[in-house]
Amino acid sequence: MPEQEGNAQATAGNKRDFRRYLRREAVILALLSALAVIFFVAVTALSHIYEAQQEFLGNRWFLRGAADLKQSHFESAVTEFRAALLYERDSYTYQLNLAEALVGLKRTAEAYAYFINLWDREPENGLVNLELARIAAQKGETEQALRYYHNAIYATWPGDQQVQRRDTRLELIEYLLNIDAKAHAQAELIALAANLEDDPVQQSRVGDLFLQAQDYEHALGEYRLSLKAEPHDPTALAGAGFSAFQLGRYSLAESYLQAAVSANPNDAQSAARLRTAALVMQMDPFQRQISVALRDRIVLKAFAAAGQRLESCSSAGAAKGPATIPVAQPGLTEEWAKMKPRITELGLRRDPDLVNTAMELVFSIERQTSNACGAASETDAALLLIAKLHESN
Amino acid sequence: MRLVFREDRFFLVLSVFIGIFAGLSVVCFRFAIAWCRIYLLGSGATLTPLRMVLAPSLAGLFIAVLVIHVFPLARGSGVNQTKAALYIYNGYIPLRTAVGKFITAALAIGSGHSLGPEDPSLQIGASLASALGRRMRLSRDRMRLIAPVGAAAGLAAAFNAPISAVLFVIEEVIGRWTAGILGSVVLSAVSSVVVMRWFLGSESMFRIPAVQMERPSELIAYSVLGIVGGLASVAFSSGIATLRPWCKALPRWTQYFQPAIAGLLIGIIAVLGAPQVMGAGYVYIDEAMHGQFTWQMLAILAGLKIIATLLSFVSGTPGGMFAPTLFIGAMLGAAVGGAEHVLFPHLSGSPGTYALVGMGVLFAGFLRAPMTSVFMVLEVSGNYSIILPVLIANTFAYLISRGLQPTAIFDVLTRQDGLELPSMEEQREEGTLRVEDAMRPASRAVLDTVLEAHDSLDQVLQRWDAKLPEVRLVRLDPTGWSIITRQALEIMVKEGKGNLTLGSALSGRQILFLHPDNPLETALRYVDRWPLLPVVNRADFRKLEGVISQQDVLQRYQLFGEEEGTPE
Repeated sequence: MPEQEGNAQATAGNKRDFRRYLRREAVILALLSALAVIFFVAVTALSHIYEAQQEFLGNRWFLRGAADLKQSHFESAVTEFRAALLYERDSYTYQLNLAEALVGLKRTAEAYAYFINLWDREPENGLVNLELARIAAQKGETEQALRYYHNAIYATWPGDQQVQRRDTRLELIEYLLNIDAKAHAQAELIALAANLEDDPVQQSRVGDLFLQAQDYEHALGEYRLSLKAEPHDPTALAGAGFSAFQLGRYSLAESYLQAAVSANPNDAQSAARLRTAALVMQMDPFQRQISVALRDRIVLKAFAAAGQRLESCSSAGAAKGPATIPVAQPGLTEEWAKMKPRITELGLRRDPDLVNTAMELVFSIERQTSNACGAASETDAALLLIAKLHESN
Repeated sequence: MRLVFREDRFFLVLSVFIGIFAGLSVVCFRFAIAWCRIYLLGSGATLTPLRMVLAPSLAGLFIAVLVIHVFPLARGSGVNQTKAALYIYNGYIPLRTAVGKFITAALAIGSGHSLGPEDPSLQIGASLASALGRRMRLSRDRMRLIAPVGAAAGLAAAFNAPISAVLFVIEEVIGRWTAGILGSVVLSAVSSVVVMRWFLGSESMFRIPAVQMERPSELIAYSVLGIVGGLASVAFSSGIATLRPWCKALPRWTQYFQPAIAGLLIGIIAVLGAPQVMGAGYVYIDEAMHGQFTWQMLAILAGLKIIATLLSFVSGTPGGMFAPTLFIGAMLGAAVGGAEHVLFPHLSGSPGTYALVGMGVLFAGFLRAPMTSVFMVLEVSGNYSIILPVLIANTFAYLISRGLQPTAIFDVLTRQDGLELPSMEEQREEGTLRVEDAMRPASRAVLDTVLEAHDSLDQVLQRWDAKLPEVRLVRLDPTGWSIITRQALEIMVKEGKGNLTLGSALSGRQILFLHPDNPLETALRYVDRWPLLPVVNRADFRKLEGVISQQDVLQRYQLFGEEEGTPE
């Protein structure tokens, strides 16, 4: 019996201990929580002071860097942006500006590292995509460059989005032309032209790019649009003249080139093209609305010019040695000599088909001598152009 | 029982509070370092030469006075002090140490001494935890564990890498894995990181570059990095091992000037063109990872950082070695990567990849924490594809470092301080004696003495001649073993049990059996209860692999003691 009482007392004692322990534990936890809250509040206050100071210092260095970047003092700008980043390491603006300054210093690899991180954070940022495209283009990574250029075209831009997108597309087109991707460039140019506003300068520039892409039809179109607003713009006139020239529309070319030379007498290229165009007009026996007599005279002149060309080319070939010069086929000389007695005003009048036969021989001679002997006189160049024109017709 | 269970749970809750307090302290510590840097060195990215020389020198003087007169335990990195608290002082670390470490390390790092904030954070965490444990009047066992719990919290917050912190504390401070410790350490580490991220954000200390490795053959390039890193680790740790005792042996008055002289020399290095060696250098690790230095400059920076860290550390300036180790590793990695790219342009690894691997390499080679080194890189990079280069390079670095410098740096420092703490590396690699090392193998002679259960007692007695041993094993059916002595057999036969089989006579007298791979300690627990124990195959308990007796075990231990005591 006393044993049972003892056990009961021990159990009661254990329970008391346990309850006391629980009470103590609860008090401790409450105290710890209170202490944690106090500590947390204190650190929060400290953190605000710290952050305010960091923000102030970061901003101060950033403003200095931005001023230096504006003045193209890239070296100082890099140092200042780096200092700014010490205080706001994650700042998108600071990193972007630092990367821009690094690009200015031509430290492309470092700049790329920043741009690629910025791209990860904001893949839709136009400037970052554009810079990445430029770096990829520099590295010769065409696929990447095109990807970033296209991203940039459809990306978000600060300020006037349309202008930024247009400029980016223009840059892409120039890049495509540089790498000789003319077909791709033409496609981009057509897209660009469709969204172009009535700005004669831009229209003229797009015309130039169409020219470079060898899309003369669209080039002429853009120059014409530009000339509507600025009829005396020498660049647009020269471009339109050249486009028409390339399209074989020599009459149109002549008028544009004439205007271009009048607007800018120093434009030697247009002047030369104008002469060629005029010669083409003069030397083409197949043009409409000319008299038979004039046509026959043109044929006589062309035939004689071809003979001279043949002779000069053969003698040049002989002088340089038989092993080096691929002179025009000897058959042409014989053929020309054989036909020569028949090519008279009377002969042409008697046999109208002789005009075609004579001109075919002239075109053959001009083509072959051009291949064998290179550049020719302006008359020969005009005859070649007429040959091309009638070939395509 | 209920009380013990509640104490376990309470300890887990306490770990969360330790994590919160450690996290908050580390946040304040980071603020303090930043403020010291701004006011002592200036707020710009480029420093003026005067400040570069004066700031670390004058701060060094002030720190020396504080360390000598006010906070003597704040000297050094803090890892060994935490380990000493666990193994020597029953978890006791004075709160004053945390305060001292906070002030002196912030001053040192902020003024440009080549040291890092991680190890001090570890010690601050441990010290706070110890103070809290004392207030809670925890049991001695709990008190011993509380310092590592705080250490993990401090390190995790400083490093923003909870897994690495947990692994480091378990690998280098505690040295063993148990569920109880792991739970507390993980909880404290996670809570401290959460607090730290609340205030300082969750971004990594450096921008992680894209990790590339196109061909497996490139692992050779990373092996070269491992070899170079291993050699650099040996140079770094040998420098500390040689110079630290030399500095300590200098007259006592020189200790007032050692940190200042170290600071002056670091300032001169900075003025001469390498300001990157000042402070923890995370900004420059970031730049190295993104290809902003040439490989020659990276190699120079790695070498200069070794010198600068040596100067700071051996002069007794409080501060950690983690950040300098990462700096040296990153520079060395990127330098080796850069040089390899010059020789073999087809290699696909970026400088950042090599820098990341390099950090792990130095961690493995210098701090000799192989597991932490691998997980640290994985955690920091967040990229699993880097695992192969890291494993290869770290293994080379670890093996070279261990081969050339048998004692790990933390153990060297402990012994220089006159303490004998268990070496985690030695423990990991210590040979364990097993039953197979002491047993007598089951030769024909041994097998001939084994009796079978179906033999009758009379038959056995008749065949038991004087040449056979006094004690013999009996193989019971279907499994199990017993033993019988000749004397016991004779008594049973005299009692008229001669017709019985051994199996029925010994059915209630089964003995324990062992396996060859059991630790010899296990055998020691049983060999005094039976004169002979069978050692059987794990797949077939009836197949005898050998026998073992108390004498065999003792003889083996005696032999082991002689081997260990023999000088190499």
